[in-house]
Parts: sequence; C-alpha cells; structure tokens
Amino acid sequence: MVARIRMNDRIEGWRGALVALMLSIGVVAPAVAVPSFARQTGMTCATCHTVFPELTPFGREFKLNGYVLDNIKQITGINVDDRSTLSLNSIPPLSIMLQISYTHTSAPLPDSAVSGALAKDGDVLFPQQVSLFYAGKIADDLGAFVQLTYDGAEDHFALDNTDIRYARHFSFGQGDDASQHHLIIGATLNNGPTVQDVWNTTAAWGFPYSGSSTSPTPVTSPKLTAGAGGLGQTAAGLGVYAWLDSHLYAELSLYAPSLPGGVHPLDSTQAGVIHGVSPYWRIAYESRWDVNSLTVGLYGIDARLNPGNGLPLAGPTDQYRDTAADLQYQFIGDSHLFTILTTYVNEKQTLDASFANGLAANPSNTLDWFALSGEYYYQRKIGGSLGFFSVNGSADSLLYAPSAVTGSNNDRPNSRGEILELNYLPWLNAKLQLQYTVYSKFNGGKTDYDGAGRNASDNNTLYALVWLNY
Amino acid sequence: MNHSTPLAVALASLFAVTTAWSADLSAGAEHAALQKTIQTCAICHGETGRSVSPTFPNLAGQSAPYIVLQLTAFKNQTRADPDAQAYMWGMASQLNEATVNALADYFSTQAPAPGRPGNPALVTAGKKLFEEGIPASGVPACASCHGQHAEGMAVFPRLAGQHAPYLYKQLLVIQSVLRTAPVMHGVIKDLSKDQMQSVVAYLESI
Repeated sequence: MVARIRMNDRIEGWRGALVALMLSIGVVAPAVAVPSFARQTGMTCATCHTVFPELTPFGREFKLNGYVLDNIKQITGINVDDRSTLSLNSIPPLSIMLQISYTHTSAPLPDSAVSGALAKDGDVLFPQQVSLFYAGKIADDLGAFVQLTYDGAEDHFALDNTDIRYARHFSFGQGDDASQHHLIIGATLNNGPTVQDVWNTTAAWGFPYSGSSTSPTPVTSPKLTAGAGGLGQTAAGLGVYAWLDSHLYAELSLYAPSLPGGVHPLDSTQAGVIHGVSPYWRIAYESRWDVNSLTVGLYGIDARLNPGNGLPLAGPTDQYRDTAADLQYQFIGDSHLFTILTTYVNEKQTLDASFANGLAANPSNTLDWFALSGEYYYQRKIGGSLGFFSVNGSADSLLYAPSAVTGSNNDRPNSRGEILELNYLPWLNAKLQLQYTVYSKFNGGKTDYDGAGRNASDNNTLYALVWLNY
Repeated sequence: MNHSTPLAVALASLFAVTTAWSADLSAGAEHAALQKTIQTCAICHGETGRSVSPTFPNLAGQSAPYIVLQLTAFKNQTRADPDAQAYMWGMASQLNEATVNALADYFSTQAPAPGRPGNPALVTAGKKLFEEGIPASGVPACASCHGQHAEGMAVFPRLAGQHAPYLYKQLLVIQSVLRTAPVMHGVIKDLSKDQMQSVVAYLESI
C-alpha cells in the first residue's frame, strides 16, 4: 500500500466526489513477508512467521534485534584496533513480492467520467502490487527493511514500508535466571507510525493483511489505523525503544511530515501536513508460556496537522490525539496455529484549523475504532480468519457530507462490518486468498447511506488474491 | 511551540548514545562474539539453556559431546528432520569448530531444568520402560545408554527434564528415519505411540 488519504479533508462538488471516491479506495493495510530474511538467516519462513506476515515470538526478536541475525558468509573489515568497519552480506538480501487480485463489489461503482453510467463490474489488478525488498543486515547491529512498491491501481512506484534500525543487547545482574536481565536498546528510522511495531494489532501490520485496493472503504478512521484517516506513510519518524527480558517494550518516537511527491518544500498544495513533530509512544508487555504468547499494550500519538489543500501551512492546526489499547494472543502448535488480535483506538480531535476555515462543522470531534479478529491455520497450509471492525464518531455535517458512494447522508462516519477470509498456502511463501467483507453499516447508515441511494451492503466486497514472495 | 527543537534534541541524544556504545567495544572481541552467539541461541533455547516453548529443547546440562555432534550434523545437514531444517541448518551453517565447542561448554555447564510432574499413570509406565526396556519385544532399557537418571553419557543425550512434546517428536522422526540416529533406529523401531508418550512423560518429570 503506497498512499494514504485523509478523507477528513472536505472535497466538494461532483468532481470532488469522484476524486474522493478514487481516494477512498486503496486504504488497506500493507502486507509483506520477505524471503530476504530467509536468505540471510538460512531459516524457513515458519521461524519468524506463523503464516506471513504475522510474526512469531522469534520474528519479533529478530526485528527488535535490528534484522541483523545472519547465517551467510560476510564480507568483513576491521581497523587496527580490531574494531569492525564492515560486515556485509556476501549476497544481498533481496526479494520480490507479487500480488494479483480480483475485486467484485456487490453493486457496481459509478463511472468516473460519465454521470449515471457505471464502472465495470469486477476488477482484475495484475499486479495489485509488486514490491522489491532490501531486508536484512547493513552492518553489525544495523539493519533495514526497505520496500519499493509498484502499485497497479495507481500506476506508480513509491517507497513503501521502511524501517531502518540499530539495536544493541545488554546484560546485567549476576547469578541465576531470576537476577539476570537482558535489555535491547534500539533506534528506528521509519516512514510511518506502527511500521516499526512488532505485533500484528497495529496499523501497518494488522489484519486484514491484504485487501482490495479498489473497493470503497469507510470515510474516515483514527490516525493510528490503516483506514482512510490513517497517517500511513505521510510521516518520517525517529524513535528509541527498549525491550527488557523479552517481556516489556517501551518506545518513544517523533514524527515529522514526509510526503513524497507534490511541491517541496511542503506548501499549501499538500494535504494533511504534520505541524512540527508528533510524539508517538508505545508500551507493551508480552508473556510466553509453552507454545503460547500473550501481549497487552497501549500506544498513542499526539499529531497536529495543517489541513493544507489550499490553506497555508501556518496558523491554527487540527490536533488528533489517539490513545489505543491492544491485545494479541498466539498459540503456535506443530499442527494447529491460532491467533486473536484486538485493537481499540480512541481519537480526540480538536479541529481549530478546519473549524475556522469551514471544513468542519464542529470545533472538536471524537472517533472510536475497534477491531477484533481470530485466525486459525492447520499446519500453516490451510486456514481462515474472521474479523469484526467498527468506527464510530461525532456527527459533522461538513466532514461527512452527503456524496455518492463516499459521503454520509446523516453526517456520521459510523461504519461496521465483518471480514471472512480463507487461505491456502501450497508453500510457505505462496498464499491463495479468498476474502469477503460485509458491511452492516457504512458512513452512518444501512440504506441510502450516501444520499444517492447506495446501501451499505452494496459495498460488500469479494476479493481474491494470489500472493507470492520469492 | 517550536517543534523542531525536540527533534534536534532526540537526534543529538541518539548520536551521543551510539557514540557511547561504540566506545565500549574494546577488548575480548572473541568473548563478545561468543556472547552474541549465545544470545542468539537464547532467543529460542533460553538464556541459560532452559527454553519456554517445547518446540525448542532445553540445552542446559546437556552432554557436551552430544551438542557438538548435533551442531555438526546441522551444519553438515545430516540431521534432516523438519525442525532441524527449518531452524538449525541456517543457524549452524556458519559455526566454526571453536564456536561449536564453546557453545557446548557453555550449555553443558548450565544447571539443568528441573522436572515437571506429569500424568502419574504415564510416568509410572514410562519409568518402567526407561529402566527395564521391553524384554519381550527386545527393546533394551533406555537407561543403559542415557544413564540411570537420564542424565546423558557422552554422545547419548541428557533426557531428564526435557520437554515431553520435543522428545515425542524426536522419537517419531527417528522412528520414521527423517532424523538419522543409527543406534536408536533399531531400539525404537517397534515402539508404539502410547509407549512413546509414557516414556517422554517420565523423562519430563525427572
């Protein structure tokens, strides 16, 4: 997933509605798993993933250790003090991901140019996405996950999920297990909040791991979600983290605006530009026993944004304060694998800029996001998921105005639905996926939700995917 | 508020921290490298060789010659059961002889994991099988090679306190010859799954 769109920005008129429709699609979470790591470590996908891209405890450790674990020949250099000056994989840890998909919505979407006409019923994307990865060690303690993606729907290349990290391991305390402590301290440089996260409850790596990039999605969502309101890859972050005894995680990152393309230095032609830096924080506690792991966590961001989109990047800002709680449980048996993921995000919006400029009807709004999913696999070969999601927020006649497909007829962003997914993996690095998303509420309503006669169920989406990593 | 200041402070702090880290990379490079290798092993096998997940065996107190033999077999890809291929072929591929020996020394000298009680009926049956074998079927006593208390002897591994699911899986893959273990193939060729379950329950319990 390359682009993230802020649908809170009001877009007026028929053309605006079409633009909004084009922008409202394709906001599904990015999803990757990389054979680069298998090439570097010599270990199979199953070491780090239950089924890609969900991480096992080992996968989380690998990432938190800076992607540097290697089991291939190194090209090394030292100085006269016997200090390492170079430790380079003799084979670059490269890999390719290919996604080919088919999307069918219950009712066809309006034609983008001819009023009253309909778009083709069903859409094949070959590719939906092709990605090239450099994922692995750069030097001792320094590693990177860099994804360059061609997006088939948008027909362009862009830097996708990128996380460069430096990590060091420290031991302290003496004697037996109980008084020995192990600490990883690391730094991450990444292109979006949660790209650096190691659990699958957060936006960048959360369920669903892939979805249609062409079907309508709800008008908005909090900044720390993968939905339409999410920050996505519009921010550059620098953070430090600590991982104590493989149990306790704490992180503080600061995000500055980073919007590829458009006018630079950033100006009023850009939309949703972070003002200054936005602090992001994360704490989590993981417990492991037998073949189980359970993690509970809290995280949040305090983001101030200039709406841009014609307004100068100065003066009042819109503040989005997200507070999230998450829980992840994994059972990783030899034959049976089971995962539960749940996330709740509360967003408090103080819309000084949007309210003053007639873009929002209220000076402040709230938005609540909830997602719960369960996944089962048999021998990492065949499995399925069932997910529930909802977004609920304040009524705002300007932010959520009526508009064909993308708007709301009752000024509310409230949406709710379920996702059923069936997956078959003939090999650990190849997934055939069938996904069906059912909306019981879309942008505030069940019937005629947009004021143009469209029902929530018209957006129900069948999505078939061939997903290869090699 | 000027938001660029905290970013500058964060960058400066980060630089200071990384510089400090670099400065303490001094003597004992080999020792440091070994520590790093042990930390890598520890992700699955536990810092002192006591693992959490039964997918990964306890190494604490394991016989050193057995560890050397297995790491060499992983490196040479002669131990080829599914988990060996998935996890250990890569892990062991770059280990040199000195590191293999150092790892064997380290883990063999850690205090073994204590036993965990299991199903009493299984444990009793398993104890009998371990200590006496099955004379009628020609199955010798396990204790004759693995030690009276399953403490291991040279290339015969310590089994006491080992995760039962791990041991059960090894019996299965040795019986099916996915894992090569010449002595064991003959010994357990007729062992039933129930008998395997009982002996591993006993071994985990001691």
